Amino acid sequence: MTVQPGTSAPLPQDRAASGAAKLVVPSLIGALVALTLGIYGRLHNPTGIAINIAGFSSPGSVKSWLATGATVFAIVQVGSALVLYGKVPRVAAPSWIGGLHRWSGRIAFLLAVPVAIHCLYALGFQDYSTRVLAHSLLGCAFFGAFTVKMLILPKRGLPNWLLPVLGAVVFIVLTAVWFTSAYWFFSTFGIKR
Amino acid sequence: MKRNTPLITLLTGAALGVILLIASMLATPSKAPTSYSAPATPAPPSTAVAQLSPESPTPTATSPASAVVTAPARADYAGEVQGGGASVAISIHDGQAIAYVCNGSVIEAWYKGTAVGGVLIMTGKNHAHLSAIYDFSKATGDILAHGTDYRFSVSVVHKPSGLYQAIAVVRGATIKAGWIVLADGTQVGSLEADADAAAPSATRAPALDVAAGTAREGSTVLVAKPVSGVTGSGF
Repeated sequence: MTVQPGTSAPLPQDRAASGAAKLVVPSLIGALVALTLGIYGRLHNPTGIAINIAGFSSPGSVKSWLATGATVFAIVQVGSALVLYGKVPRVAAPSWIGGLHRWSGRIAFLLAVPVAIHCLYALGFQDYSTRVLAHSLLGCAFFGAFTVKMLILPKRGLPNWLLPVLGAVVFIVLTAVWFTSAYWFFSTFGIKR
Repeated sequence: MKRNTPLITLLTGAALGVILLIASMLATPSKAPTSYSAPATPAPPSTAVAQLSPESPTPTATSPASAVVTAPARADYAGEVQGGGASVAISIHDGQAIAYVCNGSVIEAWYKGTAVGGVLIMTGKNHAHLSAIYDFSKATGDILAHGTDYRFSVSVVHKPSGLYQAIAVVRGATIKAGWIVLADGTQVGSLEADADAAAPSATRAPALDVAAGTAREGSTVLVAKPVSGVTGSGF
């Protein structure tokens, strides 16, 4: 921060406070996203219909494959983040690692969107079993957490641990969403197209 | 960052979501239970907008994109599992579901669960579970009973085929019997001699007189009641 002539440098506690303040709006927006998805899923009457893609055996399998793709790219995310932060011993971060991280993230997110829209529209927010309740809650939480991560990325003056923690949260939530859906689908109906 | 690319990513995803949501709403026929009004004639997009049910109550000749219908609210299904080792019957009534699998001797289980949006999730005693997708013509899925896994794809059935259940209290023990009458009239049934147990064991049930609705077990006459999603009996 540049210090203007005539003012004194901000005190450490002011800096921490203004750092936290930068998080308030993104967190509120993320929470709003998660809530909106959940409330929509709850209020909207599930229609049971699907947008099918030719070549797949059922809407459930389309979603399971797309979700698995998103999760694979999310794993690339974690790997590239570890290299980016120099956490992988003996591996120096190549110049393209940042690009890999950003693009794998974008692809994972964009693969997740159609799955979520179908899920919310055709099946809705359900609670008839633990798996389904966990999936509904975590699905909404994933988009909220991802929103927060995107909104705080350009911000300066935030503690260094924040972005990795948020990235880890996004990854864990997405994996749990995949586990309560695509994993269940493949283990129940078999791994098929 | 010169341009706020994370925000662009976020907004791209949101835009994609909105487009897909509108496409889904356009693909929903107006008589489907949705709170949004949709145009009555959806235009078929290039990715085939398909339905969970290949047949619909009002079949349109060749167009795969229209006549998209929801799964039935009330239906009965029955048939043999793949491989023929047992039979399964499922009854769905306004979101609730009851099912029974049995091989006419020791492998059998009762299930209760919910039927929502074409997806059936049910559980029973002793880790029994059933997962399936269902539509206007059949139910397809996977069933676990007595540690045995079956896959099935069974068709809709109508009276007198379907599921029957009899419960009687004999000398303090609750007897519960179930019969599945298949579409061709053959029946298979099992009987739990102690239905209140956590993991009840079963034996072959006495033959069910479908017309009379009774079966004789020793000196006990079991009165069987149909479990039917269509009529609501048993729910």
